[in-house]
Amino acid sequence: MTSDKALTLEKTSFKDAVQIAKKGSHCGMCRFDFLGSGVCPAGRKKGFLAYWPQGRMEIVKQLYSGRVKPTEKLEDIVESCNFCGCCDKQCNFTTQLRPEKVARTLKEYVKNLDQSEFQQVLEDDIVRGLREIVGEEWATNDPVIISSYTFTILPQDSELNYYIVMPENTEQVSKIIQFANKNNIPYLPRSGGTAFSAAAPTILVKGLSLERGIVIDLYRLKKLEIHPESCTATVGAGITMFELQKEALKHKLRALAAEAGAHVCSNIVTTGIISTWGNRYGAFADNFIDLTTVDDQGVIKKHSDLEVNNPYSTEPGFTNLSLTPHNIVTEAIVKLHPIFDDEEVVLVPFDNLRDAYRLLIKLGKREIGLSLAVLSRKYLAEFLSPTLKISKDFDYVCKNYIKLNYVVSVICNQYDKKIVEDMVDYTIDQSLMKSLILGAPRFSTLKDSEFMKILSQEEDPLRAIFAGPMRAHLEKALDPSPENVAKVFDKDLQDFFKKVYSKPEMTDIVWLHAFRILPTRMMRQQMFMGPGGAMWTGDEKHYLKWIQMFSDLGDKLNVEHSLGFITPLDNGKFAYMEYDYYYNHNDPEVCDRISKIVIDSMEQSLVMGKVLTILNYLFKGIYRKEHVLYPIAEGISKEEQELFKELLGTVLGEEL
Amino acid sequence: MVKFLSEEWIEIGKNYIVDKLDPIKDLKSITTSLLGVVEHIPPDDITMNFYLELEDGKLKDLIVNTGDTFEEKKAAYEIRGNYGTYKSILMGEMSLGIAVLKNRLKVKGSKLQALKLIKPLDGVIVALKEITDEFLD
Repeated sequence: MTSDKALTLEKTSFKDAVQIAKKGSHCGMCRFDFLGSGVCPAGRKKGFLAYWPQGRMEIVKQLYSGRVKPTEKLEDIVESCNFCGCCDKQCNFTTQLRPEKVARTLKEYVKNLDQSEFQQVLEDDIVRGLREIVGEEWATNDPVIISSYTFTILPQDSELNYYIVMPENTEQVSKIIQFANKNNIPYLPRSGGTAFSAAAPTILVKGLSLERGIVIDLYRLKKLEIHPESCTATVGAGITMFELQKEALKHKLRALAAEAGAHVCSNIVTTGIISTWGNRYGAFADNFIDLTTVDDQGVIKKHSDLEVNNPYSTEPGFTNLSLTPHNIVTEAIVKLHPIFDDEEVVLVPFDNLRDAYRLLIKLGKREIGLSLAVLSRKYLAEFLSPTLKISKDFDYVCKNYIKLNYVVSVICNQYDKKIVEDMVDYTIDQSLMKSLILGAPRFSTLKDSEFMKILSQEEDPLRAIFAGPMRAHLEKALDPSPENVAKVFDKDLQDFFKKVYSKPEMTDIVWLHAFRILPTRMMRQQMFMGPGGAMWTGDEKHYLKWIQMFSDLGDKLNVEHSLGFITPLDNGKFAYMEYDYYYNHNDPEVCDRISKIVIDSMEQSLVMGKVLTILNYLFKGIYRKEHVLYPIAEGISKEEQELFKELLGTVLGEEL
Repeated sequence: MVKFLSEEWIEIGKNYIVDKLDPIKDLKSITTSLLGVVEHIPPDDITMNFYLELEDGKLKDLIVNTGDTFEEKKAAYEIRGNYGTYKSILMGEMSLGIAVLKNRLKVKGSKLQALKLIKPLDGVIVALKEITDEFLD
């Protein structure tokens, strides 16, 4: 974990670079400036994924595997990187990887190639046609650039029979679709690629990936305007949640937030923005005032057009599956919400899920709080810990000594905070959370300490630590400070991280909930798959049995697993639950097991009933929640269960 | 060489379904009708459609027309997609089910009922796959 500048800059072998690249999980955090460190200049200028750190990492893998040969564009790709170090800072914060080492190795590799080894790529009629639409530099059939899209939208084993095109506006998107249709070429839009990064390499590859054709990369649709008077924002398809949230904050406004790297428009389309703020701010079509869409014939429409057919309804039932978006949303006018001066966080710790769930639903039904969620111990450990090792020890301490298994997290105003505090015996406040963030390395070292042993012997360790005299001892033992957190990072980055952790927002739980820069830590050097869905909350036993089913499947197939979060929807009448399975995405055997879990869990969920599974959620985000969630789904029949298996059989084929 | 949507294609297709497919075993005794609309047919970017009707698993009609509607008979289901999508299905590169799930084929009518037909219709697809070996590019 410690290395000095010299070590960082020393040559990395190509094989080692491949190993680093393989640990990359395409989280997309290198594509926007979430640490104030700047963002990859080459990526911003050139756009194509190949010019971004995550793309370079993928190219190294693809060259090593022999799937792609060097092209003249590869020289441009390596030359465009000036080793500014932005990517190392960003990637190290979330995954502890060093993409710059990979970029340096790639440059060295290219430098040593003979000119005869560079493949010349000829322009064909399709790329010529696309260039006529978007301009010379924004369409390509270069195999190296294409290969950088593997793992997020292109399957790993396909031939590189693709084109990448980067339109600048809605009209160009429309023309591209018309051109694709005329030439009978399939296409698929790509935004941040964050949804596919979790799913595509492991399950539903045939369904979610593009088998050949045109990737429409929407990065260049960068329009972003805040309208404070109407509490709305106009957002182009290239804008990330973080970028929107940052601009909205300047006007004391907030958007319903998904993870930081997700693009706003695509997140609306994909799942209707699943967020802990959903009970108050809404879900599905609640999120927007208007959408600009391009349909599969290239026709541009707006939801506000008078002649448009009802765009908000969708067919109910479990067969209403869609693995690609019906339309491309190029622009959205989204709702923003006021930020109050007295917003605070209050967390209620629990050792058992039932009590946490009860409190959550009670708060949801009473509309208390702006953001509401049960977060698992695993989530807390992953989010708060700066490294994977610390997160594992953090989790161990919480589980084995203090029995901190769940927290109900509430972001609220001072009046709601008082209500929550009156409802429970003890809480965790902002001050203690700040100590846990800045003291996470020390907290993890308390494993097997006398302090923890004494604490674990208490009848109620949670009460002892959060409501008793032990709290002061804990805070002292944590020795929280930006310096102490920074020490766990590579030596040459420690000064930078000391500054990062000195920023007030880095320990402000309200800010962290809204900007969601921490969840990507779940993908540090590994992958997770989070099936689940929204279930009716009218039957507590049914809900808890549903969660247990996911846990049992994880045990049965021997995969690391944990509840992720539960958050209420529609005034607590439903609650969305994500259950996470963690795994090495480079191990095909464990990927097969994850596939099986996802299919089995979906099937069992449908049999249980009262649930809208994550697969049924996909690409329903533009519809009204009333049409998606209602009528409440009944459990499917034996005949329907067989149909479900056949349906997924067609998607997964031999993977099933 | 039998070209997709040609007169010859209809004749050979009809014969193949009648001669080679068992109404009970292969076509599950289904009674249904389907209008397949094929858009963006090269080289002139035209639209054609084919009407397929089965009764108790026996072929009743297979008719090809130009345009996107078939006025003479009302089909229970309509599927609509690009020429390239139909080509991928008939070349065995993509299943009917995945084409529907990926929105490459749009279904008019109940998706649940339409998807229930996928398995029996697989027999017809296999038949058409066997006889079609020429496409327009």
